[in-house]
Amino acid sequence: MKKGKKIMIVTIGLICFLLTYVMCMQFKVIEETNITEIENLRETELTEKLATWKEKYEETNIKLQEAKQKIEEYRQKRESNQETSDLLDNELSQARRIAGKDDVKGNGIIITLKDNPDEVEGIISQEDLVELINELKLAGAEAISINDNRIVNMSDIVYTDCIMVNTKRVVSPYIIKVIGNQKYIESALTTKTVGYIDKHRSKGKDITIEKQNNIRILKYDGELKLDYIKVKEEQ
Amino acid sequence: MRKKKVAITLGIMCLILTFGIMIQLNTTNKADQTAARNIRENGLRDEVLKWKEKYDIAYEKLEQAQTTLEEERKKSVSKDADSVQKQEELKQINTALGLNDVTGRGIIITIKDNNSGKLGDRNDIIHDSDLKNIINELKNSGAQAISINDQRIVPSTAITCVGSVIQVNNEKVGSPFIIKAIGNQDLLWNVKRPGGFLEILEYTYGIPNETKKVNNVSIPKYSGVLTDKYLESIK
Repeated sequence: MKKGKKIMIVTIGLICFLLTYVMCMQFKVIEETNITEIENLRETELTEKLATWKEKYEETNIKLQEAKQKIEEYRQKRESNQETSDLLDNELSQARRIAGKDDVKGNGIIITLKDNPDEVEGIISQEDLVELINELKLAGAEAISINDNRIVNMSDIVYTDCIMVNTKRVVSPYIIKVIGNQKYIESALTTKTVGYIDKHRSKGKDITIEKQNNIRILKYDGELKLDYIKVKEEQ
Repeated sequence: MRKKKVAITLGIMCLILTFGIMIQLNTTNKADQTAARNIRENGLRDEVLKWKEKYDIAYEKLEQAQTTLEEERKKSVSKDADSVQKQEELKQINTALGLNDVTGRGIIITIKDNNSGKLGDRNDIIHDSDLKNIINELKNSGAQAISINDQRIVPSTAITCVGSVIQVNNEKVGSPFIIKAIGNQDLLWNVKRPGGFLEILEYTYGIPNETKKVNNVSIPKYSGVLTDKYLESIK
């Protein structure tokens, strides 16, 4: 009898040990589920990175091809003693378009922001515009204007009594014209809940967005000031 | 009677054991999944690196091509005054766009995440909006070239927060943030005015800044490309 009891105690002890072990396993499972989640995140991040680098590579490659072509053209024209000024003109006008020194047109999007005085947060603020411009740039906008003030590299948007863009007063309704990839820009702004439009509409701001072809954006009417800058010459 | 009890106890124990084994199986499955994910992730990481390298190589080639192009252009069109003037304009616009390394008088602002405070106090950490505000103030104060941690501010620059990481020009930047600006030093010093954003940052959010006037601020060029795929000049 005593022997039997002993065996039973040992057996139960053993089983208890096994049970503890199983519990440990269980903990491990939970932990690993967590890790999986983080790794999923990392995976999406990596996918994004991959897309960014691919895009950058492709852009660079296109530019490289362009540059090579231009070099070739310059060379050929020089050999045949032809006029090379066309090429220079093309390069110059491209730079002028990007810098906002020429009127431009193209397909894009028009966003209208209106003050809504009935809501506490319904007034459009300077930050709202800064944020919008940032979002648009992220979505690849190539030309932007706020109430016909072209946004150039050093454009500022500040608040002193009223909102000033390029040190010119602007008032509601704010009409933001954008030229760029319509699909990208629209989807970037209209993401549900967290997108710029939903986020600001939920505060009671009056925002509309529409696709439009052949948008005209006027050139920057100031001067690009460079008097403090010295260009480092390449060796 | 006793035997019955023992049998029941053992039966229950067996059941629990089976359960334990099932959990174990589950764990193994999960572990396999994690391993599979890791492999996929490593694959992705390799891909990312591969494309980054491709980009780097393409970019280097592009730089070379651009230098050659510059030379070709000089050789080809240095004859008449008109062309010389156009070349000069092109160079100036490219400088304004951020496509040249530049130097000049200006200021350097350094801000750091404040790690001395209590953990979890989100106010001590620099956000993308803080950088946007500082850049906007610098532009307002007449900055002619700006960089954040050597990322040049160009017309397409967006400052964003991806997860917990700030990105400028789609490149990660981290604390300490070194913001360089070239322009009239006295005007640029406006960013230090009472009620200015740097002061708000310091007294409200506990993030001090170190700002100094520097006579030879050096700002690198933008390492990407500016596109005008969607733009058309209006003549």
